[in-house]
Amino acid sequence: MARKFNIALSSRLSPFQKFYLLIIAGFILGPFIPLIIQSFAFRWAWPDLLPGTWWLEQRDRAMVPLAWDYVLSPYSRVWEATVNTVLIGSIVTVICLAICLPAARVLAREKFRGKSAFEFFLSLPLIVPEAAIGIALLMMFIRLGLAGSYVGIIIAHLIPTIPYMVRMLTAVYQGLGRDFEEQAMILGASRWQVLRLVTLPMLLPGVVAGALFTFLVSTNIFLLTFFLGQGQIVTLPTLLFSKIAGGTLDASAAGITLIVTLPGIILLIISERFIKEEAFGKGFGN
Amino acid sequence: MKHTATVASLLALFAAGAAQAQDAEAAQFRDGFLAGEIDWSAVEARAAEEGTVNLYYWGGSDLLNVWMDRVVTPALAARDVTLNPVRITGTKDAVDLVLAEKNSGKGVGQGSVDMIWLNGENFATLKRQDALFGSFARLLPNAENLEWNPDDPRALLNLRDFGVETGGAEVPWSGEQYVCAYNADRVAAEDVPSTFAELRGYLEANTGKFTYIKPPHYIGNTFVQEAIYAHNPDGNGAEPFQRSVDEIPAEELARLIAPGLDYLRDLEPLLLDAAGGTPRYPEDNAALDGLFLNGEVDFNCKFGLYAVATGLATGSYPEAATQFVFPEGNMIKNKNYLAIPANAPNPGAALVLADWMTSVEAQASKLQQTGMPAGIDGWTLEEAEAQSIVEASPGLVGVTQAELDANAAPDTNATLVDVIEATWLEYIERDSTDPIEAIVARAYDNLSK
Repeated sequence: MARKFNIALSSRLSPFQKFYLLIIAGFILGPFIPLIIQSFAFRWAWPDLLPGTWWLEQRDRAMVPLAWDYVLSPYSRVWEATVNTVLIGSIVTVICLAICLPAARVLAREKFRGKSAFEFFLSLPLIVPEAAIGIALLMMFIRLGLAGSYVGIIIAHLIPTIPYMVRMLTAVYQGLGRDFEEQAMILGASRWQVLRLVTLPMLLPGVVAGALFTFLVSTNIFLLTFFLGQGQIVTLPTLLFSKIAGGTLDASAAGITLIVTLPGIILLIISERFIKEEAFGKGFGN
Repeated sequence: MKHTATVASLLALFAAGAAQAQDAEAAQFRDGFLAGEIDWSAVEARAAEEGTVNLYYWGGSDLLNVWMDRVVTPALAARDVTLNPVRITGTKDAVDLVLAEKNSGKGVGQGSVDMIWLNGENFATLKRQDALFGSFARLLPNAENLEWNPDDPRALLNLRDFGVETGGAEVPWSGEQYVCAYNADRVAAEDVPSTFAELRGYLEANTGKFTYIKPPHYIGNTFVQEAIYAHNPDGNGAEPFQRSVDEIPAEELARLIAPGLDYLRDLEPLLLDAAGGTPRYPEDNAALDGLFLNGEVDFNCKFGLYAVATGLATGSYPEAATQFVFPEGNMIKNKNYLAIPANAPNPGAALVLADWMTSVEAQASKLQQTGMPAGIDGWTLEEAEAQSIVEASPGLVGVTQAELDANAAPDTNATLVDVIEATWLEYIERDSTDPIEAIVARAYDNLSK
């Protein structure tokens, strides 16, 4: 028994496991390799394995900024798009949490007439095509003067994010049970203390996961942003779409694509650490 | 956060209300300007007061994006106007936005689009829907850089856009010609085709090394039009295609276009990837550039007088790319334009922008930095000005201006383009077995609905 335990903990993997890991790593990292090479290329034509001419060779002769010079220049609007994307994503996440936390609590703990029908309706926005929602909203928002504004985009982003968030938080609340809260109350905690010291810490992993998911969904919404932003509010997905809609990926498009992946990657790394150390460590305590 | 959102939406509503109050004043300005009662200094003063201009344009070209930020923004800032260059993926998006706003009751001074870069069908749509600001082009101070005399055949492209009368509701911005390039590393000089028959001959020996952009993209439509001109059974090329659908009966049009479409249908098995069953037509010029760069095709046909020079400068063309004359006598020439929509929020600033864009200074720097040919007419300029445009040219590669001029042909009337496009889709894309006469008759019916 002890020996078996040791093997499980050691880093040795069976050949199949290693192969499996390699495949997964290949799928995840593979697409980045040609992107990175392309972002430094000037002319990269078939059948060359590597670019025939690199960007740095042409840099001094070029009449406009090429490749990364373009991506990192204000001309590309990458910075503006990143700020917009993160700002909209954060606000959407906070509003979404504020709406979904109480809703999930009720859905998980209370019984009322038409509850299952209500839950079904909550998922409807995920079934209706985004284009249909977008066009209808655009017509309304133009009348309200919300089209092309941040408020309009934030409201639109709430539509596909709320169903996910409610479902995730409901599941978390269901797993929580009332025992801990009741125990705290018996021991004399006020409602506020119960919420702050018992409920929220225990909900935290679910809340973090839901928030992360909402943020990622919001930062990836193209169609709604495109319709309601009317091209005036640039986010990373709309910027990327306008670059690669032509079907070819030149050096600057490759660079922008790499930048677009950054917020997600950074957030994943942060939340990975956070969920592991903070939430699972303290929240569930074991 | 919710609170902020509410406040912000209230603010937005308030702003919308304020814009509505300005409406009458903007309408007064429009009517006064179009009647010639407002002089240019008053337009400039109003532009500075408006402070912003929203220009919607196809944002797929790094060269153009950089030029907008580097050259146009400071030039307008000197006139106290902030340029808001809105990059869109398709011009139709801006047209749809203008129409959606118009249908929601937004008039002059209330919309969000001040200016659109467009031509052909998009202009025709705005015109048909009565969504244009009015006949402003000839009232601009720089209108003198363009030929407006209808008796001068060279004025045609300023007065008609794909056969649709511009009526001064748009001002020419760039002039283009449909030019093909070949890759000299792959094609020997003696094999370069100059007629459609020679192209077919080349493809019989080198199957799959050619394709054209898929209609209804206008670049694809143009290739189809050139094939139709070249196979015109009457032998008078573009001439019969200058009339609109109302002036040419369906049977007559079917007779004129049938040989060209039959040629294209017979060419299909020789096109890119046709060996696999269905030929591959790229969706737009960026996709075709990719095929050309990778040697999947040996030719690249598009609107691009200076495409080779700029393609070499940005690495998007193969090093041995060279232009050539094809098809002889039928290289379609047209212009693209800047239009002001009927519900432009900043009409004064839009007029100032339109005027600056038509200046010699703007046209020369646009030509030099983006390779987009001048839209103004060289013969109307003073010698030094005309010379500055000539010097700004990135240069033709393998052809001369005289050759291009000698082989130029006019565009097809926009209403006929609709019919030809529908016929191509039916006859070639869907392999319809119906005779062309029936397909054209159906297209006529659909158009009149």
